Amino acid sequence: MSNKIPYSTPSGYFDNLQSRLSTIPARRSRINPVPYLALAVSFTLLVLIGNYILTKSTASQPASDEAIIEYLIDSGTTLAQLEEVVYNY
Amino acid sequence: MQELETYFNELVRQYSEPLYWHVRTMVGSHEDADDLLQDIFVKVWSALPRFRGDSDVFTWLWRIATNETLSHLRKARVRAALRFAHIDTEAEKVSDPDPYFDGNAALRSLRKAIAALPDKQRLVFSLRYYQELNYEQISEITGTSVGALKASYHIAFEKIKQFLTDND
Repeated sequence: MSNKIPYSTPSGYFDNLQSRLSTIPARRSRINPVPYLALAVSFTLLVLIGNYILTKSTASQPASDEAIIEYLIDSGTTLAQLEEVVYNY
Repeated sequence: MQELETYFNELVRQYSEPLYWHVRTMVGSHEDADDLLQDIFVKVWSALPRFRGDSDVFTWLWRIATNETLSHLRKARVRAALRFAHIDTEAEKVSDPDPYFDGNAALRSLRKAIAALPDKQRLVFSLRYYQELNYEQISEITGTSVGALKASYHIAFEKIKQFLTDND
């Protein structure tokens, strides 16, 4: 790495970083081994319950600004697209 | 599984530090770089079983890190725009006192000039100037042609020069 970079890190950061990153496989494997059947049943239940709640709630309540913002961010909306919408409004 | 984990730990040992600097030169703040590095290595672990070695491991890792970092910057901009906050978040951070910045006044100005560049120009400039990669390597990481990268670097260089002249 070039020594032109004018940044530093807290002392001992890289030793600590390696230890933290090395725990990723253990943390992820604790999450992953969900039996496929249970996953499918949970998913189906979730869709059914979600659909029920959504139908009930969206009929009377508009989405919050925060929910719209998170939706736009997660959907991959770019700043250019936002600007286009604003300018053409 | 054990083999994968050993290989993953080897990647962490060899590449976590250079990857940190790659991300840090893009985002500026230590805290953001640290958070992003966690996300990057989670992605690396998830994608590792599918890594066939078609590209070399350096290119593969840098591509994941670059995509993750650009996505983080895009989300930050969209979030700021939607909340009518300051859009230029990197430039804003640069003007804050940063305990992990070692440079003198000239380097601080350079840092501000780089932070003001659009993300992709900053990426090309950072890979070329700080990490001293050649255009062919950058092309493999970004999927952009060498000609377009040269043009991008030239434009970034001129913008930085102009910024430094204006703020002299």
